[in-house]
Amino acid sequence: MQEEILNIKNQALAQIMSSESANELEQIRIDYLGKSGKLTEIIKKIKEADPSERKQIGQTINEVKNTVEKLITEQKNNFKQSAREWFDPTIPGIKPKVGNIHLLTNTIEEISQIFGRIGFERARYPEVEWDWFSFEALNFPENHPARDDWETFFVDTGESSKYGPMILTPHTSSGQIREMQRVKNPPIRMINIAKCYRRQSDISHVQMFHQFEGLVVDRGVSIVNLKGTLDYFAKSFFGKGRVTRLRPYHFQFTEPSFEIDISCGVCMGKGCKVCKAGWLELGGAGMVHPNVLKAGGIDEKIYSGFAFGWGVERVLMMKDGIGIPDVRMIYSTDLRYLQQF
Amino acid sequence: MDIKILDSWLRDHLVTKATPAEVAKYLSLCGPSAERVESRGSDFVYNIEITTNRIDEVGIYGIAREASAILPRFGIPAKLKPINIKDKVPNLVPKVDYLDVKVDSKLCPRFSAVLIKNVKVGDSPKLIKDRLEASGIRAINNVVDISNYIMLELGQPVHTFDYDKIAGSKMLLRESRKGEEIETLDGKKFILPGGDIVIEDGEGNLIDLCGIMGGEASAIDNETENVLLFVQTYDPTKIRKTSMHLAQRTMAATIFEKGTDPELVSTAIFSAINLFKKLTGGVPEKNILNLYPNQYKTKGISTSLKFIYERLGVEILKKDITTYLNALEFKCNWKGNALSVEVPSFRAKDVNIEEDVLEEIARIYGYHNLPSRIMSGEIPTHPASPQFAFEAKIRNLLAGLAGTEVYTLSLVSKPDVDEKSLKLKNPLGSDTEYLRTSLMPSLVAAALTNISMKDQFHIFELSNVYISKVNDLPEERLMLGGIFFGYINYRDTKGVIEALLGKLDISVTFISEEQKGFDASKCAIIKSGPEAIGKIGFVENTDFIYYEFDIEKIFKLAPIVIKFREISKYPSQEEDITFVVPEKTEIGKIVDLIWSKNLVQGVSVGDPYNGNNFTFHIWYHDDGKTLTDKEVEKVRGEIISSAKTKFGAQVKE
Repeated sequence: MQEEILNIKNQALAQIMSSESANELEQIRIDYLGKSGKLTEIIKKIKEADPSERKQIGQTINEVKNTVEKLITEQKNNFKQSAREWFDPTIPGIKPKVGNIHLLTNTIEEISQIFGRIGFERARYPEVEWDWFSFEALNFPENHPARDDWETFFVDTGESSKYGPMILTPHTSSGQIREMQRVKNPPIRMINIAKCYRRQSDISHVQMFHQFEGLVVDRGVSIVNLKGTLDYFAKSFFGKGRVTRLRPYHFQFTEPSFEIDISCGVCMGKGCKVCKAGWLELGGAGMVHPNVLKAGGIDEKIYSGFAFGWGVERVLMMKDGIGIPDVRMIYSTDLRYLQQF
Repeated sequence: MDIKILDSWLRDHLVTKATPAEVAKYLSLCGPSAERVESRGSDFVYNIEITTNRIDEVGIYGIAREASAILPRFGIPAKLKPINIKDKVPNLVPKVDYLDVKVDSKLCPRFSAVLIKNVKVGDSPKLIKDRLEASGIRAINNVVDISNYIMLELGQPVHTFDYDKIAGSKMLLRESRKGEEIETLDGKKFILPGGDIVIEDGEGNLIDLCGIMGGEASAIDNETENVLLFVQTYDPTKIRKTSMHLAQRTMAATIFEKGTDPELVSTAIFSAINLFKKLTGGVPEKNILNLYPNQYKTKGISTSLKFIYERLGVEILKKDITTYLNALEFKCNWKGNALSVEVPSFRAKDVNIEEDVLEEIARIYGYHNLPSRIMSGEIPTHPASPQFAFEAKIRNLLAGLAGTEVYTLSLVSKPDVDEKSLKLKNPLGSDTEYLRTSLMPSLVAAALTNISMKDQFHIFELSNVYISKVNDLPEERLMLGGIFFGYINYRDTKGVIEALLGKLDISVTFISEEQKGFDASKCAIIKSGPEAIGKIGFVENTDFIYYEFDIEKIFKLAPIVIKFREISKYPSQEEDITFVVPEKTEIGKIVDLIWSKNLVQGVSVGDPYNGNNFTFHIWYHDDGKTLTDKEVEKVRGEIISSAKTKFGAQVKE
């Protein structure tokens, strides 16, 4: 049968090449590719062929069909050539000026949308904050290192008799208390994204950065729910193939506390240069400490909750393939960088 | 803090067949994080991160204890080998004849010391040297090495004095006075800030900067014969303060500042005595000085099976709970489904409430064994502010208008702020000392970094500025600021702003007014009705055009839903009128005048020619009918006569 097909092909090509008008070409098309054309007929005969050869024959017929169609089109264009205007699609375009939304903004939008889909409401709370909201109400003891002036920026102004010194909030967790005070009656599902400040500056730290804080408070909220929520986020943000794990950790405002890891996107969890034995640290999380619920005016005997506060820059830098080597680069104002995205 | 420990040393205290890789993996899942294991000869070194609340894990023994609780959960048998105190326990007494001490027990809750005579200072055995070095500590001599060895093994810092250098065999442990001086073992001299824990000898010399580093004056040297072995606990806050202030971050300080277990002091001093006997030939006194006025009383915590189930999210067996807790040396007493737990001394600081107990159960049970499930409860119904969507719209519009968004630091230097700005007490530098009150200086700086690379750009930022208030947090005012560079002229940039406001359906007027930071007369206030909502103009001494808006103000002005407008069935009439206007005429005002006329539906202005000839393109329209030439002519006449009377503008025929 192969031979028969090739004969048809040669015949068709010869006819096309010697054709002299569009009408003639159309007739050739019908003769070969039409309803009862020669190629169409032969397709119907495939089932008569030896089963082991059918696939090969099918492929050959397809190739022949494509070649015939292409040649007919080319030949048709040749007839029209004299009547055509010269058109050069390869000439470079003139680009309009285009703008750019910052990587951080896009990341913040993406995070808000992912959590928005499971009922989290976006909030925004003060970046210049009282010590009480950032530390005291979050169960930090008076002498906790984070509260001293080695790690946190203090504002040079009078203290509040009720809330203590004025500081630049070092984490979005201060929004936990403010959200509890605002909502009063759970359920709460909050996502607070804001600027934070810490006294630090190196390849992986900047003195101003962004965090997104999640807070859930309701009856019977468990570690299982925390796992479910963060797993959902990780899969939505980083991709379906990624998984998370919890490791024990310590934070003042959660009990138990966890460090959340995500499987490395480079080696998919096998272990490589980029990661620690297949895992990358995503950030902290935990079950809201009962003292924090109390400080927020929530009855800790009835309600429980979980919270997490992660760096926007960090999750952005962990996205597959983005390849930003230094967090300070994110804040570059060089247009050659900004206009890449 | 991170510690390094040798696998072989760990196995002095841990009997298990688990491989180093298994130990590291399973510790990380259920206990301290041991993410890296490196080989060292035929041995292995674990790199372990200790969280601040678990200072009981800083010693190898603490890690062995964790591993003995965790490994069996992965089907690998493991057993903790208790510390072996060979000799019978020496006497712990509140007074000894070889040392006269006065101790403030608030600064030092437990004080213990013993005199060891006839010590021969020399090299330590190879095993000890190797172990110290694997942990990143240099071996010095047997006496110093014993201190470090005990600290690494048990997590209790130990110090040694040359007994004969302590004048009068007297010690006064007290707070330092401001300005007192001490020279530490490493030869550094410090002037103390005051309130540091120090020891003064019989002649008033400071011989120890407690918990951080010993004093040079009483240091061990090659001639030392009699050693005072010294094991204490200290007020953690004071240790941290001194250590941070003097930038002396010794391992002892980083341990003490987290609050050590007073019960561990006995184990440490007994173990150290044994090593002294073995390695230095020293002879310890029978009586150990021990000042420990407030002994540890066992702490009990109550919880219930219901609480554990609810918080965990799954049900587990009572007997398993007991097994997990016992392995961590917590005692369990069940009464029905009520559980009362006794907390061991080394966890007393960290375990206080039932949530803490739950954490112990949960982590040993294994977080990896828990399912993942998003909460099924009610969805909250107090929706987020629509302003977030509005801000996104502004960013999208500006990006569509060729703007590039930037993020700049909110902390700026003094010349960049006004009197309403807040100053930081502890900035990282003078260039980041103030919270900004305007986006302009940061955006000008951002623009300047680009002028050599690009011949035209538009950058913008949405960010808070911070305006101080009396006795309150500052107002965090969200601003939109932007800079144009290289645009043909002011009209091109203003057009971008008009396009933005047009899309937001906000109508404004531009009113010439002098502004700080702008070139004289080259700026305008942007108003909506009587309210100022922004400004635009040439930045002083630059080619930049800067604009800014108060986001909340424009958010309030912009309709959330833009109203549909019927498309007229009738055609408009269009025409050009060219006026010759007197110099320094505000063209915007002529446009306003034309707009104010009946039937005028649109006005645009071309570029001037011959200096002051301006062509106005005018659209006339009536929604109800097709306009006649006569009707248009009437309006045209009004425009021409008003322009003449009000502005002295002459129609150019």
